Amino acid sequence: MDFAKIIAETTEEIFNCMIFIDIAASPPLESGKQAIGCHVSAMIGLTGDLSAMLGIHCPNTVGLAVAGAMLGMELDEVDADVKDALGEISNMLAGGIKERLITENISLELAIPTAVTGQSYVISAPKGSQRVVVPFTISQGQFFVEIKYQLN
Amino acid sequence: MENAQHIIDATQEIFSSMIMLEVAPGESFIRNNDKLINSISGIVGLAGATKGMLAIHMTNAAALAVTTAFLGMDVEEIDDDVRDAIGELANMLAGSIKSILDPSGSDIKLSMPSAIYGEDYSVDCLAGAQAVTVPFTFDGLGFLVELQLRKDS
Repeated sequence: MDFAKIIAETTEEIFNCMIFIDIAASPPLESGKQAIGCHVSAMIGLTGDLSAMLGIHCPNTVGLAVAGAMLGMELDEVDADVKDALGEISNMLAGGIKERLITENISLELAIPTAVTGQSYVISAPKGSQRVVVPFTISQGQFFVEIKYQLN
Repeated sequence: MENAQHIIDATQEIFSSMIMLEVAPGESFIRNNDKLINSISGIVGLAGATKGMLAIHMTNAAALAVTTAFLGMDVEEIDDDVRDAIGELANMLAGSIKSILDPSGSDIKLSMPSAIYGEDYSVDCLAGAQAVTVPFTFDGLGFLVELQLRKDS
């Protein structure tokens, strides 16, 4: 399981096909805790042969740009539409990762997406879990796709 | 609502058996994605035929008191121990609610717990799930347990 590669491929595919924004993946962040300065996140649980949580984290401006492109409308505040759009993106990312892992005989089921927004928050994973964070760049800035997992 | 009673049963059982705290439930309500201030939330996804999420939202003061009781050691700030304890608490609550909702154990699986904490944030569930929240109090402190469920037809 090369999660950095799986995340990069899945995210590029979904942004190309569903959101029509060009994105560029960067190398995964070094492990360890980093404050990634984001104000809109969507996350979704995956479980089965792994226990995992997939998240997408965006600064407000990037979240508005991505949600606006997906919905085909101008957005200027983080409202229910933006949260729904990011939640749906997290759902599609988790679905894409699930499909890729089936080919490695890892079977997963998805929970439902949750949005986290606010001026100041940190999301942490349990001790002992693995974490991979891949940054992506669009013209408005960077966003991050993260997976945290444990083998069951 | 039936799920509110499940939350009460599961929360009282976990708190009295694992944390040795008696907690008193209040009236259940629909949480309107209100902001959480100086708080920590533990959340666990539920996947399978019934999907959803279970969350516990605590003020920092309540989280410190619960972690101190849970781990049997004094904690004074929201550190890794507190985050792990609140995530684990969400996991135990979800496990207990799963055993009520799904006695055969085949319909619902739990995902990894996460802890979210900060000075000012909100946690919204999406995707049209049914939600109910029950407030609890102990020793003058309070917390919320929220359950969101969606059955796939």
